[in-house]
Amino acid sequence: MKISRRNFLKGSLTTLFVAGFNLPIYALNNIKKNLVVISLRGGMDGLCALPIKNDKNFEKLRPDLILDKNLEINSDFVLHPSLSTFHELWKEGKSSFVHATSIPYTGRSHFDGQDLMESGGKVPYQIKTGWLGRGMKIANLEGDGLALALPMPLLLRGVPKNDNYYPAKGKLPDKEILEILSQVYSNKSEAELKSLLDIVKSRPKVDTSYGQSSSRDSISLAKKAAKMMIKPNGPRVAVFEVHEFDTHSAQGGVNGTHSDCLSEIDDIVRTLKKYLAKDFDNTLIVTLTEFGRTIKQNSGLGTEHGYGGAILMAGGLLKKSQVYSDWPGLKKKELFEKRDLNSTIDARSIYASAMSTVFDLDFKRFKDEVFWGENLQNLSDKLFKNI
Amino acid sequence: MKNIFRKIGFGLGPDEKIPSDPLKWALGQLDEVPPFVWQGNIPTEKELRKLYGKFIYGDREKLRKKFKKDKEGYKREKDKLRHETGQRFWQNLEFSIRHKEAIASNVPVLTRLWYFWGNHFTISDKDFLKKYTTGAYHRETIRPNLNQTFEKMLYDATTSWAMILHLDNSDNTGPKSQSANEAWRRKKNKPATINENHARELLELHTVSPNAGYTQEDIIQLAYIMTGWRYKWNKTSLETGNVWFRPDRHQPGKKIVFNKEYKSGRKGLSLVIKDLANHPSCREFIATKLCRHFITDNPTKEMIKPIVTAWEKSDGFLPEVHKAAIKVVFEHQSKHNKFQLPENWFLQMAKMADMDWPASEEVMDTYILGTKPFDNHRRSEWTMEELGHSPYNSKQPNGWPDNQADWLSPELLIRRLILAKKSWFYLKKNKRNLETYEKIVSNNFDKPETILDLLSKKDQLQDKHTLLFNSPEMLKA
Repeated sequence: MKISRRNFLKGSLTTLFVAGFNLPIYALNNIKKNLVVISLRGGMDGLCALPIKNDKNFEKLRPDLILDKNLEINSDFVLHPSLSTFHELWKEGKSSFVHATSIPYTGRSHFDGQDLMESGGKVPYQIKTGWLGRGMKIANLEGDGLALALPMPLLLRGVPKNDNYYPAKGKLPDKEILEILSQVYSNKSEAELKSLLDIVKSRPKVDTSYGQSSSRDSISLAKKAAKMMIKPNGPRVAVFEVHEFDTHSAQGGVNGTHSDCLSEIDDIVRTLKKYLAKDFDNTLIVTLTEFGRTIKQNSGLGTEHGYGGAILMAGGLLKKSQVYSDWPGLKKKELFEKRDLNSTIDARSIYASAMSTVFDLDFKRFKDEVFWGENLQNLSDKLFKNI
Repeated sequence: MKNIFRKIGFGLGPDEKIPSDPLKWALGQLDEVPPFVWQGNIPTEKELRKLYGKFIYGDREKLRKKFKKDKEGYKREKDKLRHETGQRFWQNLEFSIRHKEAIASNVPVLTRLWYFWGNHFTISDKDFLKKYTTGAYHRETIRPNLNQTFEKMLYDATTSWAMILHLDNSDNTGPKSQSANEAWRRKKNKPATINENHARELLELHTVSPNAGYTQEDIIQLAYIMTGWRYKWNKTSLETGNVWFRPDRHQPGKKIVFNKEYKSGRKGLSLVIKDLANHPSCREFIATKLCRHFITDNPTKEMIKPIVTAWEKSDGFLPEVHKAAIKVVFEHQSKHNKFQLPENWFLQMAKMADMDWPASEEVMDTYILGTKPFDNHRRSEWTMEELGHSPYNSKQPNGWPDNQADWLSPELLIRRLILAKKSWFYLKKNKRNLETYEKIVSNNFDKPETILDLLSKKDQLQDKHTLLFNSPEMLKA
């Protein structure tokens, strides 16, 4: 293991200095840039996705959860074998990772944590909108959001007219009935219902006569999302959901539950890459989770709720392939509450920087208007590229 | 005023008499837990658990070994095993029993509370639970406790096989327990450790909520108290054995939760459950949840207080808590309208239109174990999944949300439109006439003329049906 805090800090100081002269020039061309967020529910184990190499503490704490078929990426970290698309993209400079990061929440509750990862706030259930929805709002991206899920995730709330896709079985009533209802909703001041119905009405016919064949697996949803996003007036923001990261037992090796979940992320990214085609280069994909997991395995070969974890990223808007980290170490005294990987980068810095890059607005606006002026770093120049 | 029958129940059928004193009608349902209306076969949780065990044993221990290199053969035999254990049937039978209570019983208010508590003590979608036993857990663990204390319901839910399996407590072993020193642990490199999952959810979801301000150490200490509570494992039943307490897996020594000491041993769990059930944060958390479920996303202090008071006075005797909650709903009925959750909406439609729902005893009892269920056996499972609100299928242990925003999306609206239209086919022949629709409207809505006006916009009765059940008045209550 070569990575250390000192190295990191030296590196980032240089970058900061250079960045001072490198004032952001926002794209004036008309390239449609896309942001995809994959919500990972249950607590994604950053050290399972991206294990550290040759670390004695790590090997001692989870002897049975470290795989020998991990994919090589650099001198400090390896990639879980289920993330083969990320591995391919790494070679093209189109995948990168932030490690030892988390939202600023240390309570280890899934439900409080998931609320906060989506709202971006610090007090659970207090904020009724999502950071992504608020970010889209200041970028005037009304009607540009798409959730690949049946409910509308909190993450996207805060900007009107978001759409979602999760194909139904059966046929919608005819257009006249929808018109009558739309009129009634409008007469009775049911603005929210009216807005939803207007979205349903505006869909192309092929989408409103779903057959039994429409599938809801991640690959089918990603294919649909990509096909919608490549249209010039299609959505610019998509949100996916992957569940079941909460592996208290049988987290397992190559065939365990955590592997299956990581495969699902990989499937989504691979499918987006295929169907976005050249637009993949104008796209940024980032993951989001409520917390990492304990370093130590439990006797059921699972892990408990932890703190620091990793963000997986892919797409042509990445600056380069890298593991960006201010690595805190895994010695007992270096751990959070002597138990968890620490978080040295507020995950919201990555999300604010990502929105700044993709939505072409000054970082400060996201920092101030989406995240209430909290102390977030602008990592746009380090992680992403302006096109 | 008529809204109240949907707010706390499932509306009124076209031929049902409007209760003259709705409050009395509602409160009169809360003292006793009557037998199920369902006249068909009702298997016990134990029987269903046995079939669960038969399936996983056959699959894991036999088929996977036998068909290691024959994918097709494995698939064929596994399907056979599914049918031998009724894997595709039981959930549907449970829905029939559940929905019949909503539609045909004279305790719809009690039934809504049954659903509420089933969701509070959620068994989410894990392993094969929903396919075999979650419905039976709702029937046998939750429902009989509707006229007991909260403490008793809590203890029964916590020590139920479904919850123990669902929240991994069988993996919760004391690091200093007798079992920690057993030779096999060293040989298999499986040191004894705690598993915090169940302890955390017992605090967070089932009792005091994070508002109580517990620490990670409280969670660990509670997990210690819970060590040793696990399913009985053997080579054939695998993880489907009864729950018992194994002293040799229990962490010795005293434990401290919320600054209170608990002695080592089996009794620790019932003692800590007693204290959690009587914690002020627990009362407040559950009173708030009841108000959110029945009245509004943002309950006020005035709503919560009478329920908390009733809880204090009765030591958490649920009929008293429920009565206080229902009274609060009555008091606030005209000020709040809440978007109805999908399953409730569907059952309201089924009851109000007197639909042929759920599948009847005659239909369900034709099922023969070992065969593939017919489509008419499985329609409730498909319908609930399509609605996005299948009661045994929530993805996480916090259950289905009560907040309106969680149920508003274009796709969720599409489900209501499609299912309202489709449900026309479940309408009995003698109910397919205009008079029935007039009765539905006058029985259930305070301003029938505005709704009748809406229905007059289409001539076909099926179109009227779709319009009625997607009208704003119907979507909210």
